[in-house]
Amino acid sequence: MKIAAFLPELLRHLFKKPATIDYPFKKIPVPKGFRGTPFLHSEICIVCKACERDCPAEAIEITSVNEAEKRFRMVIHNDRCIHCAQCVDSCPTVPVKAMEMDSLHEIAGFDRHDMKKSWEYIRALPKRPAPAAPAAPAQPAAEATEKAGA
Amino acid sequence: MKFNIPIGPQHPALKEPISIRLTVEGEVIRDADLRLGYNHRGLEKLAEEKSWIQNIYLTERICGICSHSHATCFVQGAEKLLEIEPPRRGIYLRYLVSELERIHSHLLWLGVAGHEAGFDTFFMYTWRDREVVMDLLEMISGNRVHYAINTLGGVRRDLDESLRKKILEGLAVLKTRSEYYYKIGAMEPTFIGRLAGVGRLTKQQAMDFCAVGPMARASGVDRDVRKNDPHTFYNEVEFDIATADTCDVLGRTVVRIKELFESYKICEQILHKLPDGPVAVKAPRKAKPNEVVSRYEAPRGENIHYIVSNGSEKPERLKVRAPTLANYPATVEILKHGFIADIPLIFAAIDPCICCAERSVELIDSRSGEERTLRFSDLRRMANERARILPLQRNVAWPF
Repeated sequence: MKIAAFLPELLRHLFKKPATIDYPFKKIPVPKGFRGTPFLHSEICIVCKACERDCPAEAIEITSVNEAEKRFRMVIHNDRCIHCAQCVDSCPTVPVKAMEMDSLHEIAGFDRHDMKKSWEYIRALPKRPAPAAPAAPAQPAAEATEKAGA
Repeated sequence: MKFNIPIGPQHPALKEPISIRLTVEGEVIRDADLRLGYNHRGLEKLAEEKSWIQNIYLTERICGICSHSHATCFVQGAEKLLEIEPPRRGIYLRYLVSELERIHSHLLWLGVAGHEAGFDTFFMYTWRDREVVMDLLEMISGNRVHYAINTLGGVRRDLDESLRKKILEGLAVLKTRSEYYYKIGAMEPTFIGRLAGVGRLTKQQAMDFCAVGPMARASGVDRDVRKNDPHTFYNEVEFDIATADTCDVLGRTVVRIKELFESYKICEQILHKLPDGPVAVKAPRKAKPNEVVSRYEAPRGENIHYIVSNGSEKPERLKVRAPTLANYPATVEILKHGFIADIPLIFAAIDPCICCAERSVELIDSRSGEERTLRFSDLRRMANERARILPLQRNVAWPF
């Protein structure tokens, strides 16, 4: 037993830099494989609806826009999304998954209806594993995205 | 003269809603009555409407601190119902996350105990060090709180060599820190003085009231599902059941610190003999009609999930018995004969997770006789009056 056994540790910490960071101004990068926000590579989606079926939060909604053209609309309700990435696991497309997660995590908003993200696209044909990936799987969300709420 | 003091459902001393009614004589609690149901969320009913795979994420959200415990408990049972056997590597990784979660939960608890005992420095340090394990969990699974590493038939993510090294490094840091806390705990007289003798639960009482987890182990009952009912993996690693025989809050603190060391030991063994191979097997979508009871040692004690399948894609029934619920009868017993000022400590010592325990079960210790509801200010006035009339006794024996 001794009095103030914590004191040496306390004094040592006077000369250390703070354990916290100045959050909104400085940010810690998220680790590799971080589960952020889901998005769709609409050009490879085969509309199997596995993601819609397996989503525990019912955040994914796929509706048919034009039956003849095989045109579909997918809406991801980011207000309901629980960021479990089950949609990515369920997605059967190879070699690139049509559903993916980005590292976006500062996604708070004032209106839940603004948090929707939607894609309208023509169904892709299921690919065999052998042929190469469809052209330009990069830049996924940017060009095809439109805000449904706006 | 006896008074009834209601505490909760909303009260500054409580972090989650629960109602305690205490019958007090002066500062000594003579009777306690616990009322639950303020945080009922209808999770069990919701589980009946979700498929097996969706239910993993639902059960994970029963608790925010021991999220992996509930998900693992459910997955263990569901895998039996679906008749699949996860591969070895998958099992090892699943229980690696389990042990890391236990480390994070116990470090969190140590901080809370320090805070309730008025030792806030301890609270700050343990919570800072807890970040190490939280970061490790984030690197393994992709999220800090809801790891979502489990899937039917294994785990969802593999571990690479660089991450394995990082985990070992993180464990080494945590180990030295925990050793320091163990030493501090033994050396800091104020800390021991506050915790020793508070909330006594004898070995016999712990057994009678079916206490679980660190609560039972601190009373000398070496009850641990990992040892008593070793499922799949725990008979392949070496560890001891951490027990203490002081039967009080101090014992519960010591048990949790000792369990930290056991968890470090298990994690290191897992990482050193991690088998190769796949991490998951494909699971069917439907389970044959059957029922299963799944047990799992959560950081707070034994967690039980009872699952019934009916041949469809969804479970017919899911019943969750969270460890906090099992500890309530013992808590009522502990509260009797304690002091009012010790309530936060006693409550902190069971590490209550009230929203986990909120099922449709009620536990009422009914008491006949008149009930009066008093405000704290009234009580203080009466206490002052009593002190004026009757000088306080010195050498009051601890009320047992």
